[in-house]
Amino acid sequence: MSFGLPLRLMRTASFGLALLYATLLAASAVVLGFIVYWTVQASIDRQMAAHIDAEIEILKEELRSEGAADLAREVETRINYFGALDYFLADADGKRLAGDLSNLPATDGWSDIAIPDPQRGKDPKYFRVKIVHLDNGYRLVVGDDLGSKEDIRRAFLGALGWALLAFLVLTLTAGALLSSAFLSRVDAIARTAEAISNGDLGSRVPLQGTNDNFDRLSATLNRMLDQIQRLMESLSQVSNDIAHALRTPLGRLRQKLEVARANSGANSECTKTIDAALEETDNILDTFSALVRIAQIESGTRTAGFREIDLSKLFETVSEAFSAAGEDEGKTLTAKIAPSIKFWGDGDLISEMLANLLDNAIRHTAQGAHIEVSLVNHGSQLVASVADDGPGVPPSEQDRIFRRFYRLERSIGTAGTGLGLSLVAAVAELHGMKFCATDNKPGLRMTLSFDCGVLNAKRASRAIDHDLAQGPRQIARRGPERAEKVALQS
Amino acid sequence: MRVLIIEDDAETAAYVLDGLRRHGHVADQVSDGRDGLMTAAGGDYDAIVVDRMLPGLDGLAIVKMIRGAGVKAAVLFLTARGGIDDRVEGLEAGGDDYLTKPFAFSELLARLNALARRPPLTSIETVLRVADLEMDLIARRVKRNGTDVELQPREFKLLEYLMRNAGRVVTRTMLLERVWEFHFDPKTKIVETHISRLRAKVGSGGQQQLIHTIRGVGYVIRSPS
Repeated sequence: MSFGLPLRLMRTASFGLALLYATLLAASAVVLGFIVYWTVQASIDRQMAAHIDAEIEILKEELRSEGAADLAREVETRINYFGALDYFLADADGKRLAGDLSNLPATDGWSDIAIPDPQRGKDPKYFRVKIVHLDNGYRLVVGDDLGSKEDIRRAFLGALGWALLAFLVLTLTAGALLSSAFLSRVDAIARTAEAISNGDLGSRVPLQGTNDNFDRLSATLNRMLDQIQRLMESLSQVSNDIAHALRTPLGRLRQKLEVARANSGANSECTKTIDAALEETDNILDTFSALVRIAQIESGTRTAGFREIDLSKLFETVSEAFSAAGEDEGKTLTAKIAPSIKFWGDGDLISEMLANLLDNAIRHTAQGAHIEVSLVNHGSQLVASVADDGPGVPPSEQDRIFRRFYRLERSIGTAGTGLGLSLVAAVAELHGMKFCATDNKPGLRMTLSFDCGVLNAKRASRAIDHDLAQGPRQIARRGPERAEKVALQS
Repeated sequence: MRVLIIEDDAETAAYVLDGLRRHGHVADQVSDGRDGLMTAAGGDYDAIVVDRMLPGLDGLAIVKMIRGAGVKAAVLFLTARGGIDDRVEGLEAGGDDYLTKPFAFSELLARLNALARRPPLTSIETVLRVADLEMDLIARRVKRNGTDVELQPREFKLLEYLMRNAGRVVTRTMLLERVWEFHFDPKTKIVETHISRLRAKVGSGGQQQLIHTIRGVGYVIRSPS
């Protein structure tokens, strides 16, 4: 989680939104800033022009009322005012009378000029000036330092830059915080979904109590999960009820047949018929038990029997048990089993699964067939297989053989319920194994492959889950039994 | 053998009671969990057959309580469901064996016989004998009439179980459970094959056969009388 978090954060929708908002807001802040900036600049320009115009009017008035000599004096006086404007006054011949503005253009009117400033090195000082010719032919120039305007511009741009930076940092931090809050909620939902698909139907999305969108979504999901759990429970209850409804009378039928057999005495014809009826009854009961077992296993909740088991020993026991029987039917069974492979699972179910595969291999091959059981370790991958060189299964049928009651045309009429491989598939699924049938060229190869690494992790997490969920699970398990009891009594 | 049946299904109870009495056993029946607890705790029974699900008090609770009270009788659970989880729970609660409904009476009887006549733990046998067949459990050797009989480890286990129950019928499923630890019924004739191999090895050379098949029930090893 630690290393991938920044990347995951950036990929979240909320972070993307935060980033988009940040960009949009920053852009609008920049536009707004520039509008303000231009307005301020224009206002400064207008003020400066008005100031200069007013000054020129005053000086023109001075010339009219006091005369040219006074004008020059007046200009000199004004130069020394605090915060004064800049001036230049020349007579009709162009001789300087007062002021020190230089580099002036020849034309009258407004212009911006640059005057080298020894104090500032290479950078000249900029001035906005207005040049007018007075009534007596004097040339009057009044100007103002543009430096103040430049200072304002710099200060403004600086402020804008810092504000933008602060803005981005704040929005991105807020975005990251929001996103991680978002991610933790999403993770909580994902964990719940994972727990449910692992068979813990009682798992629910935790609520924060904030009544926000997420809480409402979680509450809706939880209600949906409650509903699904109710449906699943009623489904399993219905199948249990059916199992009971049929098994109880079938059991009584069996009991009566047995009593009849005990009473039939030496009547061998009658005994034979009763024996056949008993066998048929047992077959029906077998089919029913198998259906109920498959449903139980498929519900994924049968993990109470999970232990650490020695898979190699289990495979050896089962293949040894079948090898003698196979030999008697003229089939050789060889086993290639890697030693001391440990596994987390239900040993009884795995034995039954392997036994079913071997039952099939022995039943569906002709005399002289070779059957091979193998269990090998390919790195972190365990591969178990049962392969024969019998007639095999056509590729088009290979997926169908796992279906309940599915039987190949040539097997119809032979013994068997057609449920063996469904049970294998259910047990494989419960243990997270991949189960497939392939062509063994010739024959059939049944392969179970599974990941030890994943199972090791499961082993750890299930052990914890098991401790935590002991209470509720016990109650859940009692539920259907009580229902069954009712069904039995009614 | 005195047997108590705690079962609320009247037909099953009658079937079991009738069967046991026919075979010369003394059998009592109660149909309620609470009565079952009282009777089981008070009476001196060799074996108790108890249904997992009972009105009043369930079978698991009854067995836990009577075990807590020091009742030593063998306990066999009956249940309509043969789930593995149920089996483990039953054994953990103090049950000795487990049978899924519906069952053949012969299966129940064979299991009760095996349970009720278990030797006390103090007398650990080191040599098992049936007629001239002798099994040394320490040296893990088998002799018939003084001659060594070579057995595979699984055949040894099978013969050991038969000899420990000498004179009593053991069923196919009992053998599958005890010898191979298979709690399911394989379609392949595993038990039959191993029994016939064992017979060939133990009874070779025209000696009298000791292992007998009881049709529709199971096998028994006994001295020729």
